[in-house]
This record gives sequence, structure tokens and C-alpha cells, in this order.
Amino acid sequence: MTTVMSKPVSAPGKSIVEKLNFFTALALGAISAIVVWRLALQILPEDTEVRLFTREDKITLLSMTAWFIGFMTGIGALVGPFRWLMGKDLTHEENMFLAGKDMGVKRYFRYTTDHKVVGIQYLVITMVIFGIGGILAMLIRTNLGTPEGGWIHPQAYNSIVGTHGIIMIVGTIIMVTGPFGNFIMPIMIGARDMAFPRLNALSFWLIVAAAVPLIWAQFIGGISTGWSAYNPLAGQGPLGMDGYIMFICIFAISTMVAGANITTTVVKMRAKGMTWNRTPIFIYGVVASVALALPAFPVFFLSQILSAFDRALDTSFYNTAGGGSGWLYENLFWIMGHPEVYVILIPAVAALMEMAPVFTRRPLFSFNVAVMGIAGISGLSVLVWAHHMYISGWAPLLNTPFMLTTELISIPTGMIFLVLIGTLWRGRLWMTMPLMSIFALLWNFMIGGVTGIYLSDVPADAFLHGSMYVTAHFHYTLMGAGLTGALAALVYWFPAMTGRMFDKKLSWIAFWMVQIGFNIAFVGMFAVGLAGQPRRVEAYAPTFNTGNMITTGGAYLIMAGMLVLLYGVITSWTSGVKAPKNPWQAKTLEWTVGYPVPLENFDVLPVVTSDPYGYGKAKS
Amino acid sequence: MSEQMTPQTPQWWKKPDVKKTAILWVICTAVIGYVGVEFHVRNMVRPASETMSGVISLMRIFTWAAAPVAGLVAAMCLTVLTSKRHYGDNPPAEADHQISNSPRATSLWIVVSAFLCLFALITGFIVIQKDAVALLDKNAIQINVTGQQWLWSIDYPNGARSEDLYLPVNKPVVFHVTSVDVKHSFWIVQMGVKIDANPGYVTETAVTPDKIGVFDLRCAELCGLLHAYMQTKVHIVSQADYDAWLSVHATMEKGA
Repeated sequence: MTTVMSKPVSAPGKSIVEKLNFFTALALGAISAIVVWRLALQILPEDTEVRLFTREDKITLLSMTAWFIGFMTGIGALVGPFRWLMGKDLTHEENMFLAGKDMGVKRYFRYTTDHKVVGIQYLVITMVIFGIGGILAMLIRTNLGTPEGGWIHPQAYNSIVGTHGIIMIVGTIIMVTGPFGNFIMPIMIGARDMAFPRLNALSFWLIVAAAVPLIWAQFIGGISTGWSAYNPLAGQGPLGMDGYIMFICIFAISTMVAGANITTTVVKMRAKGMTWNRTPIFIYGVVASVALALPAFPVFFLSQILSAFDRALDTSFYNTAGGGSGWLYENLFWIMGHPEVYVILIPAVAALMEMAPVFTRRPLFSFNVAVMGIAGISGLSVLVWAHHMYISGWAPLLNTPFMLTTELISIPTGMIFLVLIGTLWRGRLWMTMPLMSIFALLWNFMIGGVTGIYLSDVPADAFLHGSMYVTAHFHYTLMGAGLTGALAALVYWFPAMTGRMFDKKLSWIAFWMVQIGFNIAFVGMFAVGLAGQPRRVEAYAPTFNTGNMITTGGAYLIMAGMLVLLYGVITSWTSGVKAPKNPWQAKTLEWTVGYPVPLENFDVLPVVTSDPYGYGKAKS
Repeated sequence: MSEQMTPQTPQWWKKPDVKKTAILWVICTAVIGYVGVEFHVRNMVRPASETMSGVISLMRIFTWAAAPVAGLVAAMCLTVLTSKRHYGDNPPAEADHQISNSPRATSLWIVVSAFLCLFALITGFIVIQKDAVALLDKNAIQINVTGQQWLWSIDYPNGARSEDLYLPVNKPVVFHVTSVDVKHSFWIVQMGVKIDANPGYVTETAVTPDKIGVFDLRCAELCGLLHAYMQTKVHIVSQADYDAWLSVHATMEKGA
């Protein structure tokens, strides 16, 4: 990496940061990976004892690490730290360049630090991720259209299931805090940028860097373990598992960086007068989400590092025969895995809570209860992880306390329902797609929540665990509630981000197709789960055929709806109706800056004198 | 329900939207409870043990306990959706009578949800206790189950071994489950018991089959290539048939 850094600046006046972009990053990443791969092939000794993969694992992991370092160097992530080592920093011109001033489309392909550019980058990569994950979901559902499965090889099928799982988890983690947390949040709190603009760019480009090992994995055996990559199955898995490990490690760093950045921004950079009880509820949602990720993702990172050690260095952290335990992996995984579902859910629900007052023209009902609900869910969610392990045999005696903490979450979750329903009550409904999304959320999240109570009950879980019922349950929460909120947020903040209105008709068509398709698909999945179909199977008993057919049909309807939505995004972005300054007549700050948003958002920083929910207050 | 109302209106229950919501609440609760229970019970397998019957009645109870809450939310949504809709590119006028909080409503809501939560917990604890005691039954048949990619091996007390599971009806059984390679999950579907098979550890679960018939044993944890096919049959037979099968099978094992 120092080769690039120490290269003398050839064209005078053109700084190194001006030469680096996405393409130099790709090139340097690819070259580094190939060089390290060849070197490792030459240098690494053959395995002395017979063990599957160890040498190949070392080579794969080293090459992927080289890709990662090469890519991040090529994009310019190391220019700043390198200057610091030299006792210098970036010049003012370089900083302005990095901020993407007057650069047009090119700034989206560079290490640009402007939070609005990062927000758009996140939006695009989220759509790409959902596109890939959605195609994989359609492959799964098509294969499950018939009981005998068959047209996808079991190995490929397992890999599709695993890749769909992990890519959708990542997509849903970033779907709200990425685009809207970066683009909207700083303006909403009246800040000129994020607290650490370069970390902001870093967190985005880390996700791009992480994507390549995941794609790479598909060509070296795939991810045949499901998204949870349980050991010892993962230890036995093909070289593709190294791609999974690398992907998770890089993504975990990205999430931690973004978490530190967003938390600091909100705590330190709110506008004058924006006290905690004048801070919009969406900000609470974003902060709760990234703050939860802060303790969760280092553990995920650790779990995968140990996995890599087991595979490449022949340690036995997860190997019982060598003194380790698969239960260690399960614990580490779910210590991340359960907070993570709330990392996904909270900002999406908070976005809808932000929209509820706007589209009912009345104040948010019981702001304090909304904050208590978010805080309660966040606090409890780090104490419930072992409900994923009720029947693992790890610690049967702990099932009772974990059942207690899990069921306690229903209380703060109920508070969220109360806030939403209380805001809707006697509101004057402005019938738009974001408003209907609130009703859709209440419907889907009610089903997802109540089925969650069945699953939290240990004896019922002994029947339901590992069945399609679980799959349907978490799709109802993450997709039915989470994605619904994210799509509403997209339509709601589309004018602020693109200067154009989202096509109204297309948003309605997409909304109904996705919601109806969703409810058909996952009610069918509940049914086969109750009838006894296990998860992650590529073939099943003929009795489950009807339910699976229904689910597959519903899935196709979802896909059609999402394609309509994609069409809506593209046409509205390129040729939609120009949006007025504050199309929804909302009272939060992001609607005061107009479009295009000036480089530093505000000429004069705003002063906040009331909460943003004062609808109808003047008349009382 | 007091939560929607302002305290200063004495006769809040006489307002038309409250009356409408109250009627809808009753209807929605009944519909949600009935449909929820029927959906679960009709789709669930016929129980072949008391454990499974317990799971089914638990689903029934939880669904009926959740129905009034879901019913209230649905009723309020319906009331709101059927009045004061506004279409157009500009927002409707802001309502002049606005409340942004109601301590009575929020505290009532929280207390009710806490009680529901407590109810769910106690119901669960009672069953957990029963299941834990079943493991200690001295008179139970002790069966060793070993999972491997991708089949189950069943070892009986007299040394017999099979791939299908044979058990007598109405006799408590304790399963000692382990694995030789990766994690599997031992699931007798119609009996509502499941426990993971972990390499290097023995986990336990117990059940008393109460119906004669053929049932399903499936692996419920992704275990590699042929996970979907890692399933076999459970034959529940009379005590006499079981003894006969066991002795024949044991002899066959020895003869082999």
C-alpha cells in the first residue's frame, strides 16, 4: 500500500486525492489480490497432515485481505492517515475536493465526504443489494414450487439460501440509516455535515469493498450454511465460507464506523435550541439503531475471526473434539444477531412515527412514550439472544430467564403501537403511500409480534423452532414492518433527496402489490411451518405443496411490485414532477433548505424553538 | 377505552367515533381470535402426545389473549380509515382540537400490556416445569439417538439399533441425543419435541406418545447437502408389538 502513497506527485498542482476514484480502487484491489495469491501459492508450505482446505483457506483469506487493503488504498481511504503519520493533514483544497464541490456525477465514484453524496451512494447500493437478494429469493421460491425441488443442485440451493439471507440482512441494516440517516439526519438536526465526514465516506466504501468477497465466494463453493454459518458446519464448508468471513469482518467495521459517527453527530451537533425533547423521533430511531450496532457488531467480527482461525490455522474454538464448542459460536453469533433485528426495525418504525404527524396533521401522540419504547426495546434487545438457543441444549436452565426478557420486549413494543395508533386517532388522513404504510406496518407488525410471542414461549418453540414458521415470522417483522417503513421513507424523502416528487400512481400500485403479495406469501409460509416443514430445505413432503405454491405465487407478486417501484424510482428521479420546497408541509428542518441542498446545508445555522410536531397547536 | 379521549370531555363514551370503535372492537376481537386460532389449529399436525396437545392449547390461549389488543388496534384503524380521508397534493387543514398526550391512556396501556406479558410468562413457566420433570422419570425408556450426515441411528436399551424409531404407546421415553459430525436437530413433528444434536455433547428431551400410528422424524437444523432428506418415520405401536419388534430386532443384530 505504501507504493501508491510514496509515489511522487507527478502533475504539479494535482493532488493524490484527485487521482483516486472507484476505478483506481478496483484496479489496485484486483492487482493486490492477484499478487498476494501468486505469492501465497509460492511461499506457503504444503499441509503436512491430511486436513481439508487449510492451505487453500490461508491463500483465500490472504488474497481477500489483499483485495480489501488494495481497494481501500485505491479509493483514497489511507491518504489522510498517511499524512497524519507524516505529521501533516489534507490541505484545504483537498478537503474541498473531497467534499465533492462542483463535481457533478463524478463525486459519486470517489471518496466523497459530503453526507448528501454518501446518502445517495447508500441508497443506490441498498437498491442493488435488494435487487440481488430479491433475485435469489425468487430462485428459492421457484425451486420450492414443486415438492421434489430438483432443478437447482442442493449445494447451489444451500448457497443461494445463505447468500439471500446474509445479503438481505445487510441490505435491511443499511436501508434506513444508510440513505436517510446520512442524507436527511444531519439536515434534520441542523448540522452542516456529519461529525466525521471522512469516516462517513469510509463506512460506505467499506461496504463496496465487502461486496467483492461475497461475490467471490459464489465461485469457490458458495455459502452453504445459511446466513447464520453455524459451526461446525461452517468449518466443514467449502472455501466460499472464507468469503463469508471476510464479508462479515469488513461489514462489521463499516457498521462500527458508521455507528460511532452518527452517534457523535447527534449528540454533539444538534442545532441551537434542539433539546432532547425537541429532537425529532426519527433521530432517536437512527441513534438507537447505530448505538445497538456498536456493542453487537464487534462480537460478530470476533465470531468470524475465530471461525477464520479454525479454518486456516487449525485452531479449535468451535471444534468439540479439540476442546472448543459450537455453542460458543452460537452465543457469539446471537449476541450480535438479536440486537441486529432491532437495528433493522427501530429506524424503519421511527421513520413512520416521524411521518405519522405529517400525514394526519396532528402532533405525535405521547412523544415521551415513543422515546421510552425505543429505549426499552434497545435496552432489552441485548439481553435476549439465547432465545435462539432454547432447543440447542446449551443451557436448558437459562431458558426461563431468557423467556422472561424476551416477553418483556412486548411492553415497549406495545408503546410503539400506542404512539402510532394514538397519532392516527382523529387525525385528518392525507391519503398517500407513506400514510398507508403506517397502517400496513400496524397490520404486519401485529402479526409478526404476536407470532413472536408464540416463538418466545419455550414449549411452543420446541415445536416451531427451525420450521418455516420462524422464517415467516421474521419476514413479517423485517420485511413487513422494516421494509414497509423504508419504502415509505423513500417516497417521503424522495423530494428532499432528488428534488422531484415520487410518482404518486406508481407508489400506490407498488404499495398494494407488495403488501398483498407479501401477506399471501408469508401466510402460506406460516401454514407449512405449522404443518411441520423445516426451514432451509430444497425438497419437502408432498403435503406441504399447496402452502408452498401459495407462497411462491405471493413471492412473484412481491417481485412484480418491487419492479414497479424500481420503475417509479428511475422515472421519477429522471423526469418526475419538480418538487416544491416543502411538499408535505412538514415542520422538520430538512424541508427548510430546498433543492439542491447547498454544500454545507445552512448558510446560517438554524435555531430551534419548539418540537417539530406542533400541528393544530396554534388554534387551541 | 379511555386512551383516545381528552380528560376534559366528561361523556367521551357518547361520541360517535368511540361508539363505532367499541362495536368494531368486539367484532374485530372475535374475528381475529377465531381466525387466528383456526388458522393455527387446522394447519398444525394432529397431536400424538400430551406435549403436542399442550402446544396447541397454548397457541389457542395466546391467540385469544392477544386478540383484544390486536382487535382494538384494528378497530381504531378501521374507524380512522373510514372517516376524514383527504386526497390531493396539498395537506388537509389541521384539526383544531389536538391532544398530544394522555397520561391516563398511556399508563392504562402499559399496565394492561404488563399483565398480558405476565400471563404469557406464567403459562409458559408451568409447562417448562412439567417438561423438566419428565426428563427425570426413572421408569422411562431410555433411547440413544445419533445424528450424522444425513441419517438418524436409534439405539434401544437391549442393544437393538434401527434407522426408523419404534416406540410403545403411552410409555414415557427419554431421548439422549448426540451427533457425530455437525449440528442436527431431532424433531418428532407430531409430538412437539425437538432438541439439537451436538457433536461431543448429549442433550435430552422427553415425551410420552399417546397415539398408535406412523409419524415423522425430521432434522430441523441445516446440516449440509442433503439436510432436506434427513428424515425418517416414527412407528408408535402397542406394548406387545414393541416387545416383539425389539426382541426380533435385537436377535437380528446379534445374528448379523
